[in-house]
Amino acid sequence: MGNAKSVRRTALFITIFLILVTAVSAGCLFAAAPPSRGPVAEIYQNGLLIRSIPLDQVSEPFSFLIEGENGGRNLIEVRPGSIGVLQADCPDQICVRQGFIDSPLIPVACVPNGLVILIRNDAETVSESPDLTTY
Amino acid sequence: MGTKKLTVLSLYAALSLAIYAAESALPPLAPIPGFKLGLANIVTLILLLRGTTRDAALVLTVRILLSAMLFGQAMSLLYSLAGGVCSLFVMSVVNRLLRRRYPLLTGAMGGLFHNAAQLAAAVAVTATPGVIAYLPFLLPGGILTGLFTGLCAFSADHFLPRS
Repeated sequence: MGNAKSVRRTALFITIFLILVTAVSAGCLFAAAPPSRGPVAEIYQNGLLIRSIPLDQVSEPFSFLIEGENGGRNLIEVRPGSIGVLQADCPDQICVRQGFIDSPLIPVACVPNGLVILIRNDAETVSESPDLTTY
Repeated sequence: MGTKKLTVLSLYAALSLAIYAAESALPPLAPIPGFKLGLANIVTLILLLRGTTRDAALVLTVRILLSAMLFGQAMSLLYSLAGGVCSLFVMSVVNRLLRRRYPLLTGAMGGLFHNAAQLAAAVAVTATPGVIAYLPFLLPGGILTGLFTGLCAFSADHFLPRS
């Protein structure tokens, strides 16, 4: 067994190669950690997600109309970082009075038209803003 | 090929097919496509350790063809072939370099190149380079499962009769 030494050296090289591959893979995983996604507004109608808007990609405010099954209409406006209902043809106008929301804390709901707007924040950041403010 | 060798290799092929079938009944280890233990590789490793590359290649081909016909679709045949051929080639070279003495390392290299080749086949077939994103999971996964199958082959080798 004159070449036992060279076999051992080959084994060592292969081991190092395997460790390197593992280390590089682990490095890639850490480097390419999923990009922290900003807030996403999700609009539900009768419990179904009908539209989702990444709020951090909004640069110009825009608005659109959502019509419910029974003719109820809500005019929704999206601004950079926030979303709200501008006009609604429901009697109580609660959704309009809720104003614009920018956090997942309180969703905007228009119960007569079966509409709910909520914000989902996938980034696992602890908000430094107050949990709730009452007036 | 003599009758005895034909019989022995057929038994190995049947064994590896049975292992393959048993493994496909297990729940997936991780929610990553292509990530599996690859237990049937134990048979390939044993054949490399005590037989020739030709024996291992024959048994592997029979197993891949049979398993594709019995359980899989045409696509899985392509992936299995890509992974199997590449892994067998690498294991054969490594095993020869290491003079059959480090089945764990041989198995780890086999697992690594099996997954690499399978992913390359997936990229080619689906024409979506995005699946490369699985590479950092599949490469260490291949090494780990390869070490395990290498260990299994090493342990089983003591209990199999020398023919």
